[in-house]
Amino acid sequence: MGSEFEEQLTTQTENAPRELLARVFFFVCAFLSILTTLGIIVVLITESAKFFTLTAPLVGITGKTANVVDFLTGTTWSINEGKFGVLPLVAGTLVIVVGSAAIALPLGLATAIYLSEYASPRVRAYLKPALEILAGVPTVIYGFFALKYITPALSVFFPNIDFFNGLSASIVVGIMIIPMVSSISEDAMNAVPDELRQAGYGLGATKFDVSIGVVVPAAVSGIAASFILALSRAIGETMAVALAAGSTPTLPAVGIVKLAGVVIPYPTTETLSIYLQSIQPMTGAMVQLLFGDITGGGLAYRSLFAIGLTLFVMTLAMNIISDLIAARYREEYE
Amino acid sequence: MATETDRSTTEGFGQVSRTVGTVFRYLLLVATLSGIVALAVLLAYVFYDAVQPDTAAPGWYLVYFLVLVLPMVVVGLYLRRRTERGLTVGGIALGIPVLGVLFGAGVALLFIDIIPPVAWLGYVIAFLIPFGTIVAIERYRSVPFIAKLVIVTAVFVGSMLAVPGAVASAPILPADWLILVLTLGVPVAVLVWRFLGRTFDAPRWNRIGAALTFVVIAGGGAAAPIIGLGRTSGTVLTMTAVVPFCLYAVVSRYTAAIEADTAATVDEQGVETVAADEQYRPDWLGLGFPVVVIGGMFLGAFLVELFGFAGPQSWVDWQFLTSPHRNAAEEAGVYPAIVGSIMLMIIVALVSFPLGVGAAVYLEEYAPDTWFTRIIDVNISNLAGVPSVVYGLLGLGLFVTYAGSQPGTVLVGGLTLALLILPIVIISAREAIRSVPDGFRQASYGMGATRWQTIKNVILPEAFPGILTGTILALGRAIGETAPLLVIGAPQVFDLPTELSARVGALPLQIYVWATAFASPDFFRKALPAGVIVLLVIMLVMNSVAIVLRNRFERNG
Repeated sequence: MGSEFEEQLTTQTENAPRELLARVFFFVCAFLSILTTLGIIVVLITESAKFFTLTAPLVGITGKTANVVDFLTGTTWSINEGKFGVLPLVAGTLVIVVGSAAIALPLGLATAIYLSEYASPRVRAYLKPALEILAGVPTVIYGFFALKYITPALSVFFPNIDFFNGLSASIVVGIMIIPMVSSISEDAMNAVPDELRQAGYGLGATKFDVSIGVVVPAAVSGIAASFILALSRAIGETMAVALAAGSTPTLPAVGIVKLAGVVIPYPTTETLSIYLQSIQPMTGAMVQLLFGDITGGGLAYRSLFAIGLTLFVMTLAMNIISDLIAARYREEYE
Repeated sequence: MATETDRSTTEGFGQVSRTVGTVFRYLLLVATLSGIVALAVLLAYVFYDAVQPDTAAPGWYLVYFLVLVLPMVVVGLYLRRRTERGLTVGGIALGIPVLGVLFGAGVALLFIDIIPPVAWLGYVIAFLIPFGTIVAIERYRSVPFIAKLVIVTAVFVGSMLAVPGAVASAPILPADWLILVLTLGVPVAVLVWRFLGRTFDAPRWNRIGAALTFVVIAGGGAAAPIIGLGRTSGTVLTMTAVVPFCLYAVVSRYTAAIEADTAATVDEQGVETVAADEQYRPDWLGLGFPVVVIGGMFLGAFLVELFGFAGPQSWVDWQFLTSPHRNAAEEAGVYPAIVGSIMLMIIVALVSFPLGVGAAVYLEEYAPDTWFTRIIDVNISNLAGVPSVVYGLLGLGLFVTYAGSQPGTVLVGGLTLALLILPIVIISAREAIRSVPDGFRQASYGMGATRWQTIKNVILPEAFPGILTGTILALGRAIGETAPLLVIGAPQVFDLPTELSARVGALPLQIYVWATAFASPDFFRKALPAGVIVLLVIMLVMNSVAIVLRNRFERNG
């Protein structure tokens, strides 16, 4: 950003044609990022609008459409039967998110504590690039790993596991989002002022006490931001789950409790068995919809954009929340 | 001593159990390593499946151990003991030809299968004409800038429309490889000349070096048939592997000598007491390292042939790299996928590099601190978090549904991937630009430079290595993306894409197709691991280039 000094030195020339051309070019480049976001929103909304009964007339679509309420609350996703209930797909995504979070959040947090508090600079110089590799391997390769190596290994422990299953997909997604948790959490821990640590040592605390009792609580907003960002990445992860998780939209078995007429599902021990079954997350359903040739623009094609919009809204909301939380910790210590 | 009794009563005070802390520390270490180790095990498995090292004869390993590994270790240890940076020099000297051959192979296959050299010549000339116009017109200071702009644009459009066709129908044209020698050899020679000019203060030798470069490239093309290569490949490989290696050899040989000279003069003046040959050992001895390695490889191949030892039955072989997809796993290959990936990357680089750097320059150098700038700022970081499959939907809606393009073409795929990595390019380019010290800007403004002149002459050249690193890393991400390509309608089975409107395939897409539409035990056992290894090697090469660049950049800065 230009300082006042630069402003003064450049005001005389800034409207010369050459300067103006450069300025306009650079501005257009930056503005393109806004256009990209607008493009995403416009494409997703207009194409989804063609999908729903409520909005289709607005964009001049007649013929088969789907009800918004059915879409949001329906418990069956079956293109052939014309049932477009997104809940089983959202459930599939949740299964992956919970499973990968169970792996990535503790491991990522432990990694961040180790890198920030314990590792020598030399060790850190080797570990950090090695961790980056975890996020750099193409996700389609992770999907292949899950199918070819992880599922057979898991079938030793769980003999009734399906060939496509939520567990193997969760494991690979968990591995690939570890660096996301660890790098952002580590940044947050590095931002904790050394005075806090020294105060802890001064009170006679051990390194363990300081790490757990001082550094982690002080960096908790940064850690939370990293968790949310990693979960958002897990929601949007596509190829690994498309390959490994399966293509059977399934709702997990849950217990039901009725409270004042409202149905509230709660997880039971049965629920966990979903990890051994073939499921289908939202992104997996999108890829499956595409893998046929569906350029005709029928209802199935438009449902793609409806899922895409759901996905976009979920990840955007999580990214914004994560940004807001992260902004708080930056304010605290800077 | 009075404290003696005190100590007995307060036994244990101030003593803290270390068990918890130690256990915690090792738990953290285990947690840190678990992801890395898990991936390493998976990579080892896939490597084992793809290369099948257990199918090779023991004699094969023995021969290569004796002629390749043992000499490498011995020479490596010697270099480490003998000189300060000898092993580093050796590693770089080995890395340059290896990377050069990989890169050159990519370029060569473009000229063999995709772009006819005659058409290439046409476009080069069509670009040279407006470029020459710019150079000529810049001499006339009285012509206003707008007029110059109009003239150059008109010349550009005119020559783009007329020249390629005219060149293609010219009665006499040089042979294909001679076209490459002319169109690529001359710019490379000029680059070498400028590089030498910045490194050595010896204009005459630098000119000779540049001329020699051109002769070597032409000679490489002419001599290629002797070792069984085509003339086109020979020209390109000489340019990408031999020339950089020679350049590095010359530079490291003579900069070492110059440093030694400087040290010796200091020595005579009695300021520095360390002897010159102690301080500046000849690091360039490391240049012998690649000779040992490459010589060992050829000798090994010869001996293995002589004794008839069978090598491993790797699925990653010449046949795999040069065949198209076939329905039988043994015959399937990845050639169209590799070509598709290369073409996609060219488009992605051409689109995302200028746009990303442009946006970064605007945000760092021009943008006023207003709400609008902050919106752009927040927007870019949010775009980086949008799932790649959503970018695919953007590409599908924007280019296919609205603009009416064919689904799944090279152009649509390249543009979609370019939009996908644009935020990453912008963020890394901003960091590179921000790391240019403010003093540089102020010095430039202080000399009366305008903003554009400062950006062009000071900021971009300074930030260039950082920008390049970020762009290569982003391209590495783009080359592994599958979901956007699927969404824009890339086909399951694809041919060699020969033009921008052809339907595209890519390596990760090929892997996905094999793992789904052709999911048979045979494909899972043979073609898939091989495809995974090829994709991983390409990514590894791109990432290591970026990391080496970054390290050099950080050391210099």
